[in-house]
Amino acid sequence: MKVNVNTEIALTYLAARKKQTAVAAMGVMFGVSMFIFMQSLMKGTNDYFEKQSFNTTPHIRLYSENKVADLHMLNTFFKDSSVKIMPNPKQLEQRQGIIDPYGVINLIKKNPQVTNITPQVSANVFYTSGSVQLNGTADGVNITQEDQMFDVQSNMVCGDLHDLDRVNNGILIGKGIADKLSLHLGDNITVVSSVGVTQIMRIVGIFATTIKQTDETKSYVNIIQAQNLMAKDRSYVTDLKVNIKDYNNAPQVALDLGALTGYKTEDWVQANQNLKAAFKIRAVILNSVIGVILLVAGFGIYNILNMTIYEKIKEIAILKATGFSGKSVTSVFLQQAIYIGIIGGLIGLGVGYTLTYFVSRIYIGAGNLRYLPMSFYVPHYVEAIGFGILTTLAAGYFPAHKASKVDPVSIIRG
Amino acid sequence: MENIALKTSNLTKFFHDPVDLQVLKGIELEVKKREFVSIIGKSGCGKSTLLYILSTMDTDYEGELFINGVKTTGRSQNELAKLRNESIGFVFQFHYLLPDFTCLKNVMIPALRLGKLSYKEVEERAYEKLKMFGVEEQANKQANKLSGGQQQRVAIARALINEPTIIMCDEPTGNLDSKNTGIVFDLFQKLTHEFGQTIITVTHDEDFARRSDRIIEMADGAIVSHGHKS
Repeated sequence: MKVNVNTEIALTYLAARKKQTAVAAMGVMFGVSMFIFMQSLMKGTNDYFEKQSFNTTPHIRLYSENKVADLHMLNTFFKDSSVKIMPNPKQLEQRQGIIDPYGVINLIKKNPQVTNITPQVSANVFYTSGSVQLNGTADGVNITQEDQMFDVQSNMVCGDLHDLDRVNNGILIGKGIADKLSLHLGDNITVVSSVGVTQIMRIVGIFATTIKQTDETKSYVNIIQAQNLMAKDRSYVTDLKVNIKDYNNAPQVALDLGALTGYKTEDWVQANQNLKAAFKIRAVILNSVIGVILLVAGFGIYNILNMTIYEKIKEIAILKATGFSGKSVTSVFLQQAIYIGIIGGLIGLGVGYTLTYFVSRIYIGAGNLRYLPMSFYVPHYVEAIGFGILTTLAAGYFPAHKASKVDPVSIIRG
Repeated sequence: MENIALKTSNLTKFFHDPVDLQVLKGIELEVKKREFVSIIGKSGCGKSTLLYILSTMDTDYEGELFINGVKTTGRSQNELAKLRNESIGFVFQFHYLLPDFTCLKNVMIPALRLGKLSYKEVEERAYEKLKMFGVEEQANKQANKLSGGQQQRVAIARALINEPTIIMCDEPTGNLDSKNTGIVFDLFQKLTHEFGQTIITVTHDEDFARRSDRIIEMADGAIVSHGHKS
């Protein structure tokens, strides 16, 4: 095998100083493994929370927004450039909810991206039992479709959610409501809507999500019951909930659907602004921690190569005297940095993976989260070793450049 | 002209630190091929300075330098490094071997850098050179495990590995006892007479100088005698 002489010298130097090489490589190893570990933890948690948010939020929600009177009719009538002023604009009196919801549903279903769509009637209600009153929201849903989209079944504590279709006045209540009103499966609960309709309903199931506030306010009823509570007809629907193939496309599809139907659309990104903000904040924290680790590793390499160069300055002078160009000398020292980077990086990959694996076995058991969510995502490993080698290159460049500038005459003459 | 290994024209050099000082004053020098030349002079007369300029390592001078008929003045450091690698060998007062490598590797490195021969061929040639200086038994020892005399012989072997046309020595025997000095001298003579190499050496050793082909004497930055003996 023909080994380049620069490489040979670089390797000999590394081998002659095993301890320092090991320390430098360990710095890189820490950087790389921490990079992998932190990235895996962050992606794992982000994926988990994203998935969690889809248990309550659809990818896209379509609803009718209250409109405020604007100038557009005036502008249509007076086409001149006169200034129109409308003092104290009022909300328009219009029909609540979505007009012809089943027509709209059929229209939306034509979009190839859409996988699921279900109508919902939201009603603000009071839950009453004995003398205690709680306020909350009753969602009138098609429970089969709702279960398909949001996996309601996985949150059920007791009862059968399909009883909502079978029992005429059935209701699924959150565990918080059940606890506060001391209600059990099969008990009756009085529900009073914001428009004053009172209904006595029978508890056919109790559910518990990870969010306390939801459990204390939310209930599911049959969509017809909700329409009755709001004293509306069978075509009254307040929201359409849409799931699509790839939730990352939600903002674009939401725009399309909004333009298609003329209703207000809200994608999950808008609905979960604070989740997204949390992702971003975590990314900043994580990247600064990794940055610091790599920086420290980089300084370690810089330091060790610098010391090597001071120690070997006579040898560098000799190499130059015997015909090594500045470039060759740079290559000798830069290669040392690269090998340190590669050795440390490869070990770091292994350590990072092992660390990630063991942490993913840590039992958490909070809410419905059992183990710490960790992702094993290949690009993280590629990025990690890439950054590791880049750092060593940057750290090695300056000492190597300095070595190439050594003036053999002044060193040899002493 | 073909017979000239090295030629200078009006070579002048100043030191600026700590005070301006002219160390070389218009040196005119010619060294023929196959010549064994000694440069002598008192400490501080500028002979070492001259040698380092001749070696192309020091480029901070005025005047012109020709090696093998080619002008080297004004060339880039990388070109000069290549030139040194190919046609100039060095022997220093202190051996300056690379202590992390074996003797054999030390000798091989300049040839590997040159890259004209295969690894195997370089290895064979390096071994041959070590044999020439009687240190072949030390070939696989670390360079820092050898005695001073042995190290100097390895260093000379290294200087010869690329079969340079010119060998430059700065006090090559300064650190050697008389026995080793004798060995080195005989080898040098053999190199010029049998292998046709040119040797320029700076030395304090009158005895050593006297036995060379020609003695150039320097004083106060100028050549006072070109010493055409033969």
